[in-house]
Amino acid sequence: MSEENNLQNLTSKERYDLKKAETELVSKQHRRRLTRRVLFWTFALLIIVGAVLGMVKLSGTPPSNQTALLTDAVSSSDWSRGNQEAKVIFVEYSDFQCPACSAYYPLLKKLNEDFGGKIKFIYRHFPLRQIHKNAELAAHAAEAAGRQGKFWQMHDMLFENQNNWSGKSGSDAEDTFASYARSLNLDVERFNKDLDLKDIKEKVENDYQSGVRSQVNATPTFFLNGAKFENPRSYEELRSRIEQEVGVN
Amino acid sequence: MKNSEVELNRRSASISKKLIFVLVAASFIGFLDATYLTAKYYFGGPIPCAILNGCEEVVTSKYSAIFGVPVSLLGTAYYLIVLVLSLAYLDLRNYRLVRFIARFTVLGLLASIWLLFAQIFILHSLCFYCVISAVSSSVLFVSGLFIIKSGINRS
Repeated sequence: MSEENNLQNLTSKERYDLKKAETELVSKQHRRRLTRRVLFWTFALLIIVGAVLGMVKLSGTPPSNQTALLTDAVSSSDWSRGNQEAKVIFVEYSDFQCPACSAYYPLLKKLNEDFGGKIKFIYRHFPLRQIHKNAELAAHAAEAAGRQGKFWQMHDMLFENQNNWSGKSGSDAEDTFASYARSLNLDVERFNKDLDLKDIKEKVENDYQSGVRSQVNATPTFFLNGAKFENPRSYEELRSRIEQEVGVN
Repeated sequence: MKNSEVELNRRSASISKKLIFVLVAASFIGFLDATYLTAKYYFGGPIPCAILNGCEEVVTSKYSAIFGVPVSLLGTAYYLIVLVLSLAYLDLRNYRLVRFIARFTVLGLLASIWLLFAQIFILHSLCFYCVISAVSSSVLFVSGLFIIKSGINRS
């Protein structure tokens, strides 16, 4: 009420100035609020973009930087393919039931086709028994096929058909492996008998223990000329790493 | 019409700021987590099998993608929507926004329940990153409940 009286007492000039000042104040406040909003959203956007970039970078870095060394030298008891005399030796610790190993299988196969003359490829068993119930049996099956000279053929078959046997019970998986042996023209009776062979079980166990000694704790783990190297993310990455090594030797 | 706007504003005022910060924080954590898994899916190469994590089982299983879209990417989108809407609420103070978020979190909760179920009873292995996501989406859902509750108490 008193304010209205005050206003009425003002001259028109004074009233005009007051109004002008008021509008200026409002627009100033408005501008300030707008600036704050722009800052707020810019900041939020920066944080979100930064988070995405950070996560992409993080996803590409290997979990450990320490380089493990292969403790057990390659010997004649190891399964190998490629050039036996090659100076570049590629050792893989693998598990036939591991999805990552089967994801790498076509990459290594292509590597063997592209560099077979320059590299010696070694396969060592590292069945993760705790999480893959048929992994050890599959390793035994590959060894049993190896006794009849077809280790690598069985190796390929196990990886190519991983989905068909990894979910099966032990005895069903055994039947499936026997059918693979049949399709590879192996002596199936001998194959089945060899699955229980003490030598074969020991061989797989020895491979596993040698992996433990070389700090293998996941599959696949690769060693190039004795030094562990982080799993490549693509064939290109793998190839350039190998080319580097072939170039030096 | 005017009255209902006033009412909405009043409800909005009754929502504790802490609750909104919980929304922002939980959705940001979920966003980081899902983005990491998505990045891993597209750029990380195959996840190695290790004795101590079940992630390769879970992340490579058939439950990890819907029509070829990785679940982690859907998760990223979900958390990003919640995050941006929560920030928008901080900016605009519109009750409708926060009510929408509260309803939207049901989706995240249901997805998390299904994924946890698949991990425990079908795949028999738990993935650490998926558990983080399940926790974030549960926190979001509970915050959503509180938001609805404080809105109702007010009216």
